Amino acid sequence: MRLLAVCDLSKRFGGLAAVDGVSFDVHEGTIKAVIGPNGAGKSTLFNLITGFDRPDVGSVDLLGCNIVGMNPHKVVRAGISRTFQNTQLFEELTALDNVLVGMHTQLRTGFLGGALRLPWTLTEERRARERASYLLRLVGVEQYVMTPAADIPHGMRRLLEIARALAAAPRLLLLDEPAAGLNNRETQSLARTLYRIRDEGVTIVVVEHDMGLVMEVSEEIVVLDRGRKIAEGPPLLIQKDAAVIEAYLGEEGEYV
Amino acid sequence: MRWTRRRLGITLLGVMGIAIAAVPFLTDDRYLLKVLTFVGVNAIVVAGLALLFGYAGQISLGHAAFFGLGAYMSAYLTTTHQTPWLLAVLAGTGIAAAGGLLLALPSLRLKGHYLAMATLGFNEIMSVLFVELRGITGGNNGLSGIPFPSIGSFVIDTPAGIYLLVWGVAALAFLGAANLVRTRPGRAMRALHGSELGAVASGVDTTRLKVQVFALSAALAGLAGALYAHAVGFISPTQFSLEFSILLVAMVVVGGTGSLVGPFFAAVVLTLLQYVHALIPGLGNDVASVIQDWEVDISGMVMILTVIFLPGGFAALVRRKRIGVAVDGETV
Repeated sequence: MRLLAVCDLSKRFGGLAAVDGVSFDVHEGTIKAVIGPNGAGKSTLFNLITGFDRPDVGSVDLLGCNIVGMNPHKVVRAGISRTFQNTQLFEELTALDNVLVGMHTQLRTGFLGGALRLPWTLTEERRARERASYLLRLVGVEQYVMTPAADIPHGMRRLLEIARALAAAPRLLLLDEPAAGLNNRETQSLARTLYRIRDEGVTIVVVEHDMGLVMEVSEEIVVLDRGRKIAEGPPLLIQKDAAVIEAYLGEEGEYV
Repeated sequence: MRWTRRRLGITLLGVMGIAIAAVPFLTDDRYLLKVLTFVGVNAIVVAGLALLFGYAGQISLGHAAFFGLGAYMSAYLTTTHQTPWLLAVLAGTGIAAAGGLLLALPSLRLKGHYLAMATLGFNEIMSVLFVELRGITGGNNGLSGIPFPSIGSFVIDTPAGIYLLVWGVAALAFLGAANLVRTRPGRAMRALHGSELGAVASGVDTTRLKVQVFALSAALAGLAGALYAHAVGFISPTQFSLEFSILLVAMVVVGGTGSLVGPFFAAVVLTLLQYVHALIPGLGNDVASVIQDWEVDISGMVMILTVIFLPGGFAALVRRKRIGVAVDGETV
């Protein structure tokens, strides 16, 4: 089933076409990768899908509903969560509290209920903590439950941000370079985590430079270059695509 | 070991609560009770400002104006319209909340210095209005003869009674705030402070949240102002100046961001500083007058030194020590 349909999306910054007429679909239950050289427009594409930036033209449909122009916090409610290239954790909050903030859209306690500690507030709070602990275990950072995010090692911080994004119970998870700065072992474990997340029914789109990871986990790859989509297809075809090889390595290079 | 430390914290809070409640039974010094009532009044404002500034990271240099709004509203209604005290206090709280809402809607799109300037401007405008709206505020002469708190025929007209009333409200304000910061809205506030981008990506409507917190803290300032008006019986514009706003911010900064206990103690100490001459009997007249003359400067210096040498305030100092000792446990 088609979960996300990006259609003819374009965004210019001054004279630069950051994203230029990009279209692609994401099918439910799959892992899709978006790759491309630096400045290809990958992060801008994520910002356009999640409402952090508004496209000049084009549409983004989530299950048939156009979400272009929605405020980013509403996009989260609609079912799309994301992480950032530069992790945006709440440094002074514990890992558990970071994930609990991620559950914001799933909880209902307001100012009055919170200040008065009403019975159902406490019930909701207890359930939220159980779910948050489960998510921390799912991504493998359970040993840092009570550690402030600032004191958590780099690789684990990326996983924590994924757990926070999952806390909103998204249908679609957008990961912006989750493997950046991870060592080989951590990247391997990230791959397994991505499979676990997909098996929980969450569709994933990942922007990534680590080609090993991309080729391993993704069922389909979209390749961007200077804002335009130059190729789309399964990993084996992308590796042999002449336009992709040229974009990455110039005309005489050999790719992977 | 977690629950023993938790129990220690609760025990300490309990002892503090009993000590505060016991004061009027141990002394009948009217002046002392009055000064300690002012401490309670300031503590109520600080509970709200700690939420706004210490937790949500939004500065306000206009809280003296909200305090004044509450005070004038309640004083005006009771003196000229014979409105029942409870209704007047609620109206004072309400008008401060409404003022907070109106100021927050346009201003909270601003950040940092610009927000500080907008709220500072608001305080100055209100200061002028408190003087110029003579028909309501009594101009520079202020309003006097403000009646004691009363519900029906029950009148609270003793210093001890007013003290207990104010501290009862202060206790409720801190209890509510402490509950709030540990549940969904409070976590969203701390998230907003930590990374606005991250908060938005977590589905937090940050604009709405900022407006809500601002209105809540303005309401608490208005409530404190209304209680203050009926506690002293006389109010005039000089009591609601920018200077007071800055003192309130100093209490939160010195006490510590992301803490309620820290700002509470800072409110106690910085309020008492103004009355040091009366509280320490042995203090020489010259020393007392120096402290009184320099009180604002001392608060300012303490704030500057805190920001330079102890970012995060005294609460951060205590927290750091605690983390050094124990690995697990919540920090509040």
